[in-house]
Formats: sequence, structure tokens, C-alpha cells
Amino acid sequence: MTKHNLVHGRLLALAALTMACALSAPANAATGEENFAKICGACHSIGGGKLVGPDLAGVTTRRTEDWLLKFIKSPKAMIDAGDATAVALFKEFNLVMPDATQYNDAEIKDIVAYLATKSGVAAAATPPPPPKEASPAEIARGQNLFQGLERLKNGGPACNSCHHVKNDAVIGGGVLAKELTTVFSTMGTPGINAILGKPPFPVMAAAYAEHPLTDDESAALVGFLQDADKKHELQQPRDYGFRLVWSGAAALVPLMGLYSLIWRKRKVRPVNDKVFDRQVKGGDDVAQ
Amino acid sequence: MELSNVFLFVGLPYAALVIFLIGTIQRYRNKGFKVSSLSSQFLEGRALFWGTVPFHFGILVLFFGHLSAFLLPGPTLMWNANPTRLITLEITAFAFGLSTLVGLTALFVRRLTNVRIKMVTTKMDIFLELLLLVQVVFGLWVAVGYRWGSSWFAADLAPYLWSLFKANPDITAVGAMPWPIKVHIVGAWLLIGIFPYTRLVHFLVAPLHYITRPYQRVMWNWDRKAIRDPRTPWSAMRPKNN
Repeated sequence: MTKHNLVHGRLLALAALTMACALSAPANAATGEENFAKICGACHSIGGGKLVGPDLAGVTTRRTEDWLLKFIKSPKAMIDAGDATAVALFKEFNLVMPDATQYNDAEIKDIVAYLATKSGVAAAATPPPPPKEASPAEIARGQNLFQGLERLKNGGPACNSCHHVKNDAVIGGGVLAKELTTVFSTMGTPGINAILGKPPFPVMAAAYAEHPLTDDESAALVGFLQDADKKHELQQPRDYGFRLVWSGAAALVPLMGLYSLIWRKRKVRPVNDKVFDRQVKGGDDVAQ
Repeated sequence: MELSNVFLFVGLPYAALVIFLIGTIQRYRNKGFKVSSLSSQFLEGRALFWGTVPFHFGILVLFFGHLSAFLLPGPTLMWNANPTRLITLEITAFAFGLSTLVGLTALFVRRLTNVRIKMVTTKMDIFLELLLLVQVVFGLWVAVGYRWGSSWFAADLAPYLWSLFKANPDITAVGAMPWPIKVHIVGAWLLIGIFPYTRLVHFLVAPLHYITRPYQRVMWNWDRKAIRDPRTPWSAMRPKNN
């Protein structure tokens, strides 16, 4: 073996070893804890009781690691495939957990490893207390915060930028993210508060990363959403998209009139039009 | 983080900006006289008016609208804080979007059907107009289908663009956007990337001083009819194109 081949062979062996190490790298519970707080903490507690989803205390003793990995990757696929546990969870919580498409297998494994370290924690025995009614002042403030009439203290965008709520008191119309008319029934105060505090959705997380909501703003918004949920059947639906298209088309008419008015003295024909016409008649124009 | 997102929202933007910068300088240095849009008003004026005016008014308003939301995201959100102002802004922007679409369609049809214009049309002109059409259609779609764009652009895409210019790209938000918005963003980077090799370069040499310049009056110091008359005696060369 020449010296060159020897070096080449060693490099290959080193690369193979590095790859093998990377593939079999043990899951890191510490990273998992960070990711759990960032991604899962909005809807799940460990020993704190049900929030939007189940209490995950001891979940690794109830389910296999393989099942957890598959479920976190795509709960919808599991439900569609008819997995009995996944279907039962869906029926109990009436909500499908979002697919973790933006997270890779290693990140999910870390989270499961963190959950395993918490296998001894007991699930909360008592259910969370029922939500308290929001005061009219809180609801009114929530309405103003939702549509931006009162600006969020730290400069974040108003909720109606991306969300719609069927409620006569506010201008909704945002469709980039979920409609929130009945979000209170599905998520309740802890769920909404958790999402407002630490948004698990990347677009929302980026928008509020530098402009977090304050606790009293979250409380007012929860109050408004609770109120909107309660009386949504009495509200008028409004189609903002349809209105936007027609208003835009209507505004185009005076705009075209304006163009015409500004250039009312324009020369309709080019200065050399007669020259061209003569050339066409005389057979000079090659293309005609 | 998906690799395709890294390519489309980090690799492509940087490549486009480098090509834009180097390509424009190179074109100006090598073919300075071709840094223009090659006006065709000389060849056809009637259809041009209803294409170029709605197109240019529309695209200028939209361009500066996008630019201001990028440069001043805070004031944009402050403006949108009042729902009446938000809806006024969205309808106005949508109307100018429609104006751009109407104008661009008229220009495209003119370019494809008018014989004189066809003679001066390059393949790049066709490609560029098609790309612009796709871009405008997707822009209108995003405006209606993913309202209210002016707000979430300021909240999510302005930080993304700033992160690119600060050489610390953050694509978590942009990578999670719905696909029509992604197409609109990728279209914008493509336009910047092909900019130096298209008629778009005229944007950099717009004769803004013409706006304030006084009229230039062209005077003909002879009788044009008499000159064309074969009986008029000629003292010098007779013009050939007349």
C-alpha cells in the first residue's frame, strides 16, 4: 500500500467512525428539557395536570419509546392509521397535536429521553379549577388589544394581523393563522396563556420573540376570547377576503381615470407614425 | 431545519445579491449604453399608455410599500394598530396590485402581438415579463388569501430580511410560511438575481431630473411638406428614410 493510499484509508475509517458515533449518539436529556419547555410546554405539563393535552408524568412507562417517537413525529398519521391509543387520545381531547415536521429525529429523541427522566413524577390527582369569568373591563381591553386599538406594550403585532375571530366588536380578518372564535373551548385559560407566553408555532414565536406579551395583556386577551367563544353564535359572519377583492377592484376604476386625467394631453400616436405608415405602404417594413 | 428552506431563503438570497451587485457593475462598465429599457414608445404609443402607466404606478407603490415595511417595521405596525387605517392600507395596496396586473398583462399582450415590438423583443424580455406576472399574481393571492400581509410582513419577514443583512440568517418563521408566500419570496430573490441581465436595469438610471427639468421644445426650421416634395430642389443630401 502506498503512503497516499494509507492516508486515504485512515481518513475513510475516521469518517466511518465519526458517522457511526453520530448515528448512535445517546439522546441528550438536557437538550430535551430545553426543547420540551420551548415546544411542548405550552400544551403539556409534567405532573401539573391536564392543559391542552394530557399530563405527561410517567408517559414513558405507559407507552413504548417507539410509539412516542412515531406519535410526536406525526399524530395525524397515527390517527389516520387507526392506532387505538392515538384515536382514544383524539376522542378525549378533541384536538390533533400539530405534526413536528420542523424538528428532526434527534431532537424528538432528546425530548423522549427527558420525559424518561421524569417517569417517577406522579400525575396531578385533582383536575384544574374551572375557568373564572372575565370582568367586562378585561373583555373590553382584550378587544382593543386583539385589534390593535390598544398597542401591545412591547410593540408586538396585534392579534388580528394573523387571526380571525367572529365577533361584532372587533375587526378580524387575519387568515395566516388559525381562527380563534372557539379557541377557549378547546384550550382553556392555561392553554391560551401558555401559547401567548411561549408560542410553539414558529411564525408566532418569531413575531413575539423580541416583543413578548405582558401577563396582564395575556389575561385580557384570554378574557376576550372566552367572551367571544361564549357568544359566537349570535355574531354576524364577515367575509373580509371577498370585500377586499371588490373594494380593490372598485378603487382601480378611479385610479385608471386618474392616469387618463394626468396624461390627458398625451400624444396618442408616436411622432413618427406617419413615417411608419408610408414605409409599410411602400413595402419597406420587413415584418408586415 | 429543512435543507430546501436553507437553500431558498439563505443561499438563493445571498447568491442573488452578489449577482445583482457584481453583474450590474460589470454591465455598466462593459456596455454602459445598454443600461436602459430600450423604449418602444417610438414604435407604438396607444397600447403602451394603458400598459406602462398602470404598471409603473402600481409597481412603484408596491415596491416602496414593501421597502418601507422592511425599513420601518415599527411604524408600519403602529399605522396598522388602527383597524380603519389597516384596511385602508390593504385596499389601497390591493388596488395598486390590480393596476400592476392590468398594466403588465397589457404590456405582455402588446409585446407578443405587435409586429414592431416583436422585432425588438428578446427571450429575456419574455422570461422577465412571465416571472413578473407570476410574482404579481402570487402577491395578490397572498394579499387576499393570507391577510393582513402588511402586519405580518412587518412582524415576521422584516426581521428575516434584517437577519440576512446582519449576516445572521434566521429562517424559522419564513420556513414555516404557507407555500404561496414562499413562492412570492423566492420570486423576489430570482428577480434580484436576474436584474443585471434584463431591461430592469433602467430602474437604476431612471432620469429623475426630467421631472423638474423645463420643457425641451423641438423646432423644425423648414417646411416639412416642401422638403418631401420631389419638386423641391436639393442643395445637400436628400434624407433616405422619408
